[in-house]
Amino acid sequence: MLREVLQAVEAAEGPVTLTELSRQLNLDPRVLDGMLEHWSRRGKLVVNSETAMACAGGLKEPGHCSCGSSASGDGCPFIARLPKSYAVFTPTEFDVELR
Amino acid sequence: MTPHLLSTESNVLSVALAGNPNAGKSTLFNALTGARQHVGNWPGKTVEQKTGEFARHGRRIAITDLPGTYSLSAYTMEELVSRDYLLDSRPDAIIAVADATNLERNLYLIVQLLELELPTVVALNMMDVAAKQGLQIDIPELSCSLNVPVIPSIARQERGIDEIVAAVSHASTLPTSACSLDYGEAIERAIASLLVIINDYIAIREYYAPRWLAVRLLEGDVDVAARLSGLPGGSELLPAAGKRRAELAAALGEDIDLFIADRRYTWIHNLAGRVVRAGSAHTMSNSDRIDHVMTDRRLGIPIFMLAMWLVFKITTDLSAPWVDWIDGVLSGPISRWIMTVLDAIGLGETWVASLLIDGVIAGVGGVLVFVPVLMALYFALAVLEDSGYMARGAFVMDRLMNRIGLHGRSFLPLMVGFGCSVPAIYATRTLTNERDRIMTGLLVPFMSCGARLPVYVLFAAIFFPRYASVVIMGLYLLGVIIAIGVGLLLQHSLLPAAAAPGLVMELPPYRLPTARGIGVQMWIRTRAFLQHAASLILVTTIAIWFLTAIPAGAHGTFANVAMADSVFGRASNAMASVLEPLGFGTWESGGALISGLVAKEVVVSTLAQTYGTSGAIDEARSDTFLQDLGEIVTSFLGAILDTLKAIPGLIGINLSVGDDEAVPGLADAIRASFTESSGGHAAAAGLAFMVFVLLYTPCMATIAAMRHELGTRWMWLSFVGQLAIAWLAAFFVFRLGVWVGGL
Repeated sequence: MLREVLQAVEAAEGPVTLTELSRQLNLDPRVLDGMLEHWSRRGKLVVNSETAMACAGGLKEPGHCSCGSSASGDGCPFIARLPKSYAVFTPTEFDVELR
Repeated sequence: MTPHLLSTESNVLSVALAGNPNAGKSTLFNALTGARQHVGNWPGKTVEQKTGEFARHGRRIAITDLPGTYSLSAYTMEELVSRDYLLDSRPDAIIAVADATNLERNLYLIVQLLELELPTVVALNMMDVAAKQGLQIDIPELSCSLNVPVIPSIARQERGIDEIVAAVSHASTLPTSACSLDYGEAIERAIASLLVIINDYIAIREYYAPRWLAVRLLEGDVDVAARLSGLPGGSELLPAAGKRRAELAAALGEDIDLFIADRRYTWIHNLAGRVVRAGSAHTMSNSDRIDHVMTDRRLGIPIFMLAMWLVFKITTDLSAPWVDWIDGVLSGPISRWIMTVLDAIGLGETWVASLLIDGVIAGVGGVLVFVPVLMALYFALAVLEDSGYMARGAFVMDRLMNRIGLHGRSFLPLMVGFGCSVPAIYATRTLTNERDRIMTGLLVPFMSCGARLPVYVLFAAIFFPRYASVVIMGLYLLGVIIAIGVGLLLQHSLLPAAAAPGLVMELPPYRLPTARGIGVQMWIRTRAFLQHAASLILVTTIAIWFLTAIPAGAHGTFANVAMADSVFGRASNAMASVLEPLGFGTWESGGALISGLVAKEVVVSTLAQTYGTSGAIDEARSDTFLQDLGEIVTSFLGAILDTLKAIPGLIGINLSVGDDEAVPGLADAIRASFTESSGGHAAAAGLAFMVFVLLYTPCMATIAAMRHELGTRWMWLSFVGQLAIAWLAAFFVFRLGVWVGGL
């Protein structure tokens, strides 16, 4: 089951929703989420569930980050609240020589 | 680490409460202990520890609420705390709380708990919700398969509590053998061989469940290995486990821990299939049905565009009366009051008055009048976010980004870029792939940040009053199109990409937005804008006023010089020739674009200053304070009425009379200036100006962020590239407007 899940994510053409994938694999979405979590622990998937990542300086308080943005002084006028997602981890080969 | 047995009083039963997050564990804990609980932290950890004690059925029970976890893999701090407690304290019994509506996922932890071979009772919680969802759970079959008592409960209503307590009260009679999970012949053979060694050493088997220990060693659990290393028998057991692992890996051709986890999932899936009936797991919820359309591969993007059009329609139409109101208040009563005060203290005809009226009021006020516009935008975005649609928007846009080989995680920085480029650039550091990081960082500035919106609203209202929302949405869209174009160019030149990897997105269910949620979001963003206006924009407008007050040559004196002959006018004029082919080659435009590098809102404030739109205040200086107050209140009520009239306009019913312009004095001045500079094609020049503002460098802070995150080389490429693209695009738009559109 776990292998099928990873293969399905890797084979997906473009983004898919958890519901779409769960229907494809005939799994409950919450069970599938657990399996995706398993793969993220093994480093095969990268889980992204932090809205705070948009803020370089970290959250000062919920919904208010210290990012020194141009349009806000010391706060972000726009904090992306985007859903949890899992992406296939791709090792970094494109490296510092580009800098 | 040497484990120890917990010494409990013979009449006090120690019970651990374990379960997944949101399974109702805390509700059960509160129901059991009432007020008799203690909250602290686990020793040396920041994880909360809750303990309590109660007496029922003649037994005193000390209960420890373990952190909510999905497994006992010791991966997170919560898992480590839970597992350490269960291994080291060895409670007399475990109450494993499971969410009946999500049994299959909950079973993973339960199976791991059962492998510890401690007396266990499963509390199958939220049975009422499960019933509402049409779920039927075969509890006897579940109990039989798990080999432990399974008690249905509704902790919220304190139902089933007595039965759970009664079950754990007889902990010594509860079965402790693990459930019948078969890991397959090869693994079971290896387990059996390790059990032989484990059973030889009392120091090991006394503290750890032998089968659990064997499985963990085969899974390669380093924490467990560390625990054993100091125990008698550890030196024999660990090499034996390592050997078995190597043999199994060779035989099975994959990692043993993965194989074991897979067997667990399969066993649980089969068990859930047997005991859960008529589940709603795969029936379509309302959210699923809506998503079927909203995230459709063909319809998703057009629907997203329609939603964005509506956002900008709300932004421009509903805010227009309030823009007029604030402009009227600032340029009328407020300016008059300031002049009255200055007159009273003898500064009415001095440069101080000019600084305050032509500098601060015209500059900062010129930006503040657009606060209603931003509030309307924040309102519309908050509705989209709170309703759950924004996540769908991100999802369909991500498909577009995939075309340029961008990693799925790039969409977050790009989405943040619509708010502000600086945090968006910093957000790229979460991308693990260097190529994606650089590509995303280079594309972020093309996402039109919120600071540019006042410029669009002003110019769209001047040159395209009837189609303002379409023009503004078109600009946002153009930014995305240019980003995709640049991305494709980079993909085929400097930043080649492999195929974009797969991405799974968990879309939240749709829900009705709450007034509080929307209000909080609007306030946070508006407050940030106001703070900015009170700091950076104020300082910039004052600096620009001084530069416009200082004569560049022999003509004029300080604060008494034509702006075109000031230091600012002369410096800006140098840029005018570069902008001439774009239709807005004036020193005012050049100056506004240069100052816009400080922050894009400053473009508007500089235009307001350089076009000197505050001259009208003198005409009405004789008004009384009460008349002014009356004017403010009357125009406020008028703004409310106009807003209400504008609402039907969102669906095409026009109740408004005429097309009032935002900031009329400034609008007239800009129109006249652009008409002259463009040879009579003011609208084409206005559109080109907006395109230039969209595409050239957002601000100095963005440049600094780019240098910091991407390095100097990429920063310069981005800076020069954006200027070149902005110039070329504005040139193309202007010429196209002149030749084809006749604008």
